[in-house]
Amino acid sequence: MKNDQNNKENAVAEKRENYLKKELYALIKEDSVLFDFLQEAALDGLWFWDLDQPENEWMNSKFWTTLGYDPNKMPHKASSWQDIINQEDLKDVYANFAKHSQDPSFPYDQIVRYRHKLGHTVWIRCRGIIIRDNNGKPQKMLGAHTDITEIKKKEEELSLKSAFFEQVIDSTDLGTWQWNVKTGETIFNERWAEIIGYTLEELGPTSIDTWVKHTVFRDLEKSNKLLQDHFAGKTQVYECEARMLHKNGNYIWVLDKGKVVSWDEEGNPEWMVGSHQEITEKKKAYERNRLFIQQAPTAIAMFNKNMEYLAASQEWYNVFKIGDIDIIGKSHYNVVPEIANKWKISHQECLKGKVIKNSKERIERFDGAVQWLSWEFRPWFNDENDVGGIIIHMSDITKIKREEELKSLLAVAEDQNKRLRNFAHIVSHNLKSHSGNFEMLLDLLIQENPDMGDHEIIKLFKTASENLTETIVHLNEVVLINTSVDENLVGLNLWEATNKTIESVSAIATENKVTIKNLVRQGVNILGIQAYLDSVLLNLITNGIKYSSEKRDSYVSLSSWIEEDYVVISVEDNGLGIDLNKHRAKLFGMYKTFHHNKDARGIGLFITKNQVEALGGKIEVESKVDHGSTFKVYLKHEKN
Amino acid sequence: MKKIDITCIIDDDPIFVFGVKKIMELIGFSKNIMVFQNGEEALNNLKAIISANEKLPDVILLDLNMPILDGWQFLDEFVKIPCEKKIIIYIVSSSVDPDDILRAKSYEWVSDYIVKPVTVAKLKEVLVDLEKVN
Repeated sequence: MKNDQNNKENAVAEKRENYLKKELYALIKEDSVLFDFLQEAALDGLWFWDLDQPENEWMNSKFWTTLGYDPNKMPHKASSWQDIINQEDLKDVYANFAKHSQDPSFPYDQIVRYRHKLGHTVWIRCRGIIIRDNNGKPQKMLGAHTDITEIKKKEEELSLKSAFFEQVIDSTDLGTWQWNVKTGETIFNERWAEIIGYTLEELGPTSIDTWVKHTVFRDLEKSNKLLQDHFAGKTQVYECEARMLHKNGNYIWVLDKGKVVSWDEEGNPEWMVGSHQEITEKKKAYERNRLFIQQAPTAIAMFNKNMEYLAASQEWYNVFKIGDIDIIGKSHYNVVPEIANKWKISHQECLKGKVIKNSKERIERFDGAVQWLSWEFRPWFNDENDVGGIIIHMSDITKIKREEELKSLLAVAEDQNKRLRNFAHIVSHNLKSHSGNFEMLLDLLIQENPDMGDHEIIKLFKTASENLTETIVHLNEVVLINTSVDENLVGLNLWEATNKTIESVSAIATENKVTIKNLVRQGVNILGIQAYLDSVLLNLITNGIKYSSEKRDSYVSLSSWIEEDYVVISVEDNGLGIDLNKHRAKLFGMYKTFHHNKDARGIGLFITKNQVEALGGKIEVESKVDHGSTFKVYLKHEKN
Repeated sequence: MKKIDITCIIDDDPIFVFGVKKIMELIGFSKNIMVFQNGEEALNNLKAIISANEKLPDVILLDLNMPILDGWQFLDEFVKIPCEKKIIIYIVSSSVDPDDILRAKSYEWVSDYIVKPVTVAKLKEVLVDLEKVN
């Protein structure tokens, strides 16, 4: 039913069309005004040619006005247009005419150029149809002109424009691409291929896979993420730096930029166009700069106006104790949140163009440790007056400060040492001569008056005078110990030195019935100064003799061995011993120097210790009361 | 025991000079004693003696630390004077500075270095030494 109804309606619509068409055709036949309207309004020229008398051709007035001529002055002759048509195009016209007259299905349709009366070219689309008699013989020909000059102009402009863009792209060395996001179809220019060392032909057939295949995977991932951002409208332009594998096997850097230029009905990207720029050299230079900053031996960092990091040296990470994180692009105040307000204020001042520095800033840390910093805030400029940000430079000068302090301490110590030497000089030359005179005069007095030698006061006087002399001698020795002999040490044979010392004390050893054993290894050298070594040995051996026990057969035994970098010299006795619990602290001190108690070791051990230490060694003692003592002297071993 | 003819003491300390003279008398060290209070006085007088062709001392006891011309300076000048007689020089000083003792040894004319105080015993030793030399 429904179909029948549709058929009926269609038949009616056809009828209606037919009836209107017929009516128009009929009207045109009856009324030439309608035909005049049509040929004036719809066409830019109409012609009707008599093929039997080819010189006769009727042209309507629009034909001539389109070409700039007055229709009243133009004769209805074919020659009138044949003179102003482009002669090359005229050949085409004849050729097409010949084909059309042979074969009616071949369309007579071509674009030809006419010279406008004012001289410029008018582009005309010329179509025509031959009217034939019953035998098919050409009789007349009807033609129509359409002025397409405007379209031609646009076309020309377009081709000019496209040539211009091509030249621009050529001169900028840009590779270009056009990518159909949906199909993956991708068109590259020759330069795009050249950047990675190929020709387009070598790469073809091209698609988006051509890009994927030649790009480092990590950079592709980055690129895809940035593309998604662009598709989602987060970025105006897609931009990504990526490494591509060059034909020669090296990686090169390209700056890949692009933009979606068309979207489908659902709002999905369709066509995207973009460019490739080779930036390998730029990247290398950037990498060098980055390395330069990173490896700088001081803490240095560059910030933009928002105090966000542009670059920072490794030392900067160290000074601020920043872990292994990427701080580039992050705010300094987020990276180092504990930063003091006064620094923030200084940063702001610096951003206004001021250079701020302090060569010695004392900073007390939370743990109480003192740190000395030398720092400088310096603005950097985009151009003359436009601050781009600041550069901060810091160095920890705590060490240097400490060294400075040590140096000044050293100077004080040196000064004191000098005064001590002067004092020693005075003691040596002046005090000594006075005490010497005392001794001499007393000696003389007793020589002249022998009976006075038994006088109690004179005896004490003599003792006092001797003690005074001895004390002065000791003091002098103490002061004369040079504590900075370290660099003047020479190799000394230990066995020879001990042997010599033992010989020199053999008399008092015999007198005190003490046996001295030299078990020191032969052929071992120590680093020292002969006078000090002799003095140390003499002191220790005579002590051993002096404090021997009468209860047993006494001995002093010397031995030696090597311990790491030292030669250990042991001086062992079986004498009275020392109560180390009581005296350890005082043993090597200057205490009791002026007393002559039986158990006091006097100033000897003090001098010994100082001499040993001056030689870069140390001295240790073990002792048990009424069993004996062992002194161990560590001196530097001279290796061959 | 052959007695020394002339002994010369060069020292600015009158107590020392007094003492030494006393000891010398006690032990009969020398027939004559001449005393100068510093290096310059000694040098001038000794030069005069040489030019007058008079008797020069046999032994000189020389202090180091003296005003005007000290012991070292005296030695440096004295060795330049041409002199036929061999004079034995002892340095007698309070100094125990090893540098002084070493320096004294560098002079050919200096026999020994005596550390003050000078006692009867020490001077007797000197006397014994001198006899050995002669």
